[in-house]
Formats: sequence, C-alpha cells, structure tokens
Amino acid sequence: MTDVTLTINGEERSASVPPETSLLRLLRDEFYLTGSKLGCDVGDCGACTVIVDGLPVNACLMLAGQVDGRDVVTIEGLATLEDLHPIQKAFEEFASLQCGFCGPGVIIAAKGLLDRNPDPTKEEIKDALSGNLCRCTGYTKMIEAVQDAARILRGEKEAA
Amino acid sequence: MKKRGKGMGCMWYPIGFTVMANPSAATVKVNEDGTATLITGTVETGQGSLTVLGQIAAEELGISTDDVHVVSADTDATPMDTGAIASRTTYVTGNAIQLAAEKAKNILFDVAAPMLGVRPDQLEAKDRRIQVKGFPQSCLPIGEVAAHAQNGAGTPALGSASYNPPTVAMDPETGQGKPFSTYVYATQIAEVEVDEETGEVEVLRIAAAHDCGTAINPMLVEGQIQGGISMGVGMAIQEEMLFDDEGRQINPNLTNYIMPTSLDMPDLEVDIVENFDPTGPFGAKGVGEPTAVATSAAICNAIYDAVGARIYNLPATAEKVLAAIKSKDHSDRQKYLPAG
Repeated sequence: MTDVTLTINGEERSASVPPETSLLRLLRDEFYLTGSKLGCDVGDCGACTVIVDGLPVNACLMLAGQVDGRDVVTIEGLATLEDLHPIQKAFEEFASLQCGFCGPGVIIAAKGLLDRNPDPTKEEIKDALSGNLCRCTGYTKMIEAVQDAARILRGEKEAA
Repeated sequence: MKKRGKGMGCMWYPIGFTVMANPSAATVKVNEDGTATLITGTVETGQGSLTVLGQIAAEELGISTDDVHVVSADTDATPMDTGAIASRTTYVTGNAIQLAAEKAKNILFDVAAPMLGVRPDQLEAKDRRIQVKGFPQSCLPIGEVAAHAQNGAGTPALGSASYNPPTVAMDPETGQGKPFSTYVYATQIAEVEVDEETGEVEVLRIAAAHDCGTAINPMLVEGQIQGGISMGVGMAIQEEMLFDDEGRQINPNLTNYIMPTSLDMPDLEVDIVENFDPTGPFGAKGVGEPTAVATSAAICNAIYDAVGARIYNLPATAEKVLAAIKSKDHSDRQKYLPAG
C-alpha cells in the first residue's frame, strides 16, 4: 500500500491505497469527490481534469503516490456555500453545457488557464480547452463563457 | 500551397417518426398558489427541452416559466413519451403540453367567468391573472381562481392531453403520402482552407441559417445548432469507424476515433430564421438532428471550390483529399466510392 497525504481544496487529507491507484480513483473512491468524472481513463477526454500545484492535469494519468505532499484543486473546490465560482456562473449564464459530463473538466481547465493568464485570447482559450472533449455543444458557448468570466475576474465587469 | 474555398449545403428534415405512431402525453395542473405542475414522460438530455416545455405551459397559462414545476421521465408516474428522438420533443411533446394546459386554463375560465360577471370566452390568462379581454383591470389572480376551482366549484384546474403527429401512409406503389406532419429547412455555408501538398482540410468558418418554426428559446436553439455543426465537422473530415476483416471495430476509443476538439471548431455564425408553423406549439417545430445534416455537404463543396477535388465518401481525410487532388480524373465517381 502507498501512503498519501495531500491538500485537496485547501484541506489536508490522507489515505492508504494500492500503488497502482490513480489520482482520479483516489479522489472518487477514497474521498468521494465524484465531481471529477471517469470518462476514457486513458487521458483522451479530459473529464477528470484537476489542478495540481497550479497546473491542470488528467487525474486518470497521475498516480496517487505522485501527489503526496502536493496541492490539488477539484471542481468541488470552486463554489462556496453562498456562491458559484465566476467561471461556473458564466457557464450557467451562457448555457455553455448541455449533458454536462465534460463540464467539471472544462471548468477546471478554464480555471487553470485564467489563474495563469487572466486576459487570454480566443485562440489561447481554445488551446487550453483542447484536451477536453465535448460531444454536445461545439465549444462555442464555453469559449464565450470563459471570455466573460475572465472579464469578471479582472474586475472589468460586474458578475451577473 | 493552401487554397481557400466556399461551399453551401441545403437540407430539409422531418419532425417525428415516419408515419409510425409516436405520441406524447402530458398533464398540467394549476395550483392554488398560482404555480403550475407539468407532468411529462420526456427526458431532458441537456438540450434544454424541459425549459422549453415549461415555457410552453407557462405561455398558455399566462404565468412565468419559473412558476412551472416540471416532473419528468418517471415511468412509474408520468405518461409514456416516445422519447428525445426524431427531433420531436418541442413539436410533439410541446403540442401535448399546450393542449393539456389549455384544458386546465378553460376550467379556470369557467370558474372565473361568474366571479367576474362575463362569459368564459371573454377571458384571457395573462400576467398571472385571469382577466377580461380588453379590460385587464377586471381580473383575478390565477391562484385565487385555482383555489376556487378546487374548493368552491369542485372542478380542479387540471388537464391531460396527448398528441400524435397526423400523417398519411405512403402508397407502396406510387410512394405518395404525407409521412411527416412538418419539416424544417436549413442552409449552411462553409469556408475551408485545403493544403494542396498534404490534403489537410481546415474548416475556418461556418454560417448556418436554420428554420425551426418559432424559436421558443433562441439561446437553446443556438446551442443545438452549434453542437450539431461540431458533429457535422467531425462527420465531414475526422470521424470514421474502422473495421477489420472480421467486422470488429479497430478504433473503439477516443485515441483513434478522432472527434472535434475546441481547436477544430470553425468560427460559427448562427442565423435563426423565424417562421410560424400553425401545427406546432406557438408555431414551433424542431431543431435537434437537422443541425448536423448540411455541414458535411457544405464542407465538401468548399473543398471542391478550393482545389477542384470531389469527395464522395466521408470523412474527407487528408489522405482522401490528397488522392483526389492528385487524380486528374475527377469525373470517375466510382473511384471514390467504398470498395464493394
């Protein structure tokens, strides 16, 4: 078994798991954080995207043992009891999601982008979301929502 | 060298099943607090159908969409619905809901008429009130009328209805008939860039004009069209199921079955062509599947415009486009058809 202690959404958590356990399985099966979705499990679809030490990664491609001592943000870490995160709000406002299965991964990928680049171009947004497959929406309304959320996070626009 | 071209695809598409029965049913009840409950068997799959169906019930009852509580897709309790298929939900389920809401509304009119001292046909439902047409100051809150229907008149304000699109079976000899109750129409124009050396196609821009009858929720219609175009782009240049000699799919995964990512999406321009269909709920028809129909035709025509190569089977992969560019004999249609 591998002992892992990491910070998830600002809280220190520990678990003891078989060494082959992926970060995604650790989050879902040990900590019941089921917002990160299990899609392809081989890094193609991006539905499991989480932020590790500031960078978006596919949680299915990372071993639990690799995140020992590191900082992980999942979709559950974005909203507060009072409010949605501005990116989540913009996705709601723009009807950016349809079936929604890719949603947590897309929103985390967008957060990963905006944390590093608060004023991205449309091409940079497309590039940042290119690891997240969506069968429903054609991505257009997602890109618009990320642009809008960026304006709100930069303080150029009031939240809706 | 990269060459640009433009192409157009036009289509019509039917709403509902081909002649076969595909009914929907619904129950609408107006509650004593002025809200309404809509009971329908249809399933929300993310396209926003329950929002649109709630809007239809609200419009018929003169209340806000937020006032409509939708209960859906519980086969123990809701009427069976043929399903979120055949681009039929807004049209078929919507018609059933409008009819059910109208029945509930007529009960409210019957109850309100003596209270307001007019005939039922002089009433209308608007702004959460039952009011006299032309004299909106003579009115009662809809919840008060619903309460009186329940507790005074003893005729609770509820209605159930079903709808099955009327069709005429096709004659097996002449092929004549009317297999669908209504149709939608669309035109899409694509602009592509084709690399003459590699055959690679990039779709730069697509403009899509779609008729869906009345667009009950234009934002959701736009979402359907944008999503359909992404499927159409995949169908046109990327997505292909490959099989081995035994008939087993050799790319049953997202690594080898290539679908569009955000980087593959062209700039989209959506134009909703408003049009009232008298057979639909508030003039609405449908928008689901038709959105993906014209895309691949428009893209293949654009490829032809760019490099003079005709692609007769999809997807127009780089290999196929390059072979078509190199072959000067574009008239030999058989060449590009699948083997066998």
